[in-house]
Amino acid sequence: MGYVHNTHLAQYIPPNAMHYVTGTWTQTAGVIADTIALHRAQANETTVINIPIVIPSNSSAEKGSKLTSIQFDYELIGAANTSVTPVLNKVTRGADGAVATVAAVAQTMNLVAATSAASQEQHRMIVTVTTPAWIDNDEYYLLEVSIVAGAGATTTNVLAAVAYYTMRA
Amino acid sequence: MGYVHNVHMSQYIPPTAMHCVTGTYTNVAGQVIDTVCVHRAANAATGVVNIPIILPSSTTGQQGAMLNSIEVDYELLVAVAVSVTAVLNKVTRGADTAVASVAVPTITQDLAAGVAAVVQDQHKMTVTVTTPAWTDDDEYYLLEMSFECGAAVTIDVLAAVANYTLRV
Repeated sequence: MGYVHNTHLAQYIPPNAMHYVTGTWTQTAGVIADTIALHRAQANETTVINIPIVIPSNSSAEKGSKLTSIQFDYELIGAANTSVTPVLNKVTRGADGAVATVAAVAQTMNLVAATSAASQEQHRMIVTVTTPAWIDNDEYYLLEVSIVAGAGATTTNVLAAVAYYTMRA
Repeated sequence: MGYVHNVHMSQYIPPTAMHCVTGTYTNVAGQVIDTVCVHRAANAATGVVNIPIILPSSTTGQQGAMLNSIEVDYELLVAVAVSVTAVLNKVTRGADTAVASVAVPTITQDLAAGVAAVVQDQHKMTVTVTTPAWTDDDEYYLLEMSFECGAAVTIDVLAAVANYTLRV
């Protein structure tokens, strides 16, 4: 029997797979022709985007996927925002009759929430998991990105996310 | 060249990938903080949620993914439902100018449709494929969940997980 252990796998996650709460979001063409985006209309609000990390898991220990980092591509248009902050949540599913539980996972980001992540610009945010772990079949990850738009006439385009992981099977 | 045959693979399918008809569905935060779901407002009708089973397939016989079971996490709020029933559809794509065709593989669901599956509570329904088969590149699966509701019940669908064998 063979064996796969690949530390360089990546999974594209399109903007229409993400979960948006607060704000008016529509599917539009991206700023660059032939790209796609989810566009948030202008409003002084805090919007929350949850990015489902759709990579394989496994019921055997130390197999399946180990999430190492997530990159998030977005654009802030019109003016600088107040802040853009990621939180990585690991959801452990409940048994029938029981609620799920959630644990925040330690991570670092390459941008600073209230400065470099919030400037009027194209952005690639890199969220690196401090201690990657193999994902059990009863677990999944959500990257929760909170965007505090502020009073400026800002809009947001979300283009994509890419999850980087090790696969072992 | 190596060879992988792993019978313990699983794939998370988020609610944003699901196809929801009949009723008013919105993306909202889940009942547990920092979870997400698609929420169906109260509506005395049968809401249908199709869950696309997003697994690899293969043009080579007996390779790719073999779907073994699917788990669906949902919550019934406010009141009990009338029934919650799972049907697994295997869609064979049509050639150009031809329609797709649909077959219904035999499955079992662990929660009884009009009893355990309808309680006002958190649910994890496990749907087991009776005779798993390798998925051809011209095929895909949809798990069709029918929520027959009275006037009061609302629904949160949190996630699905497809359990499969991977052979590549």
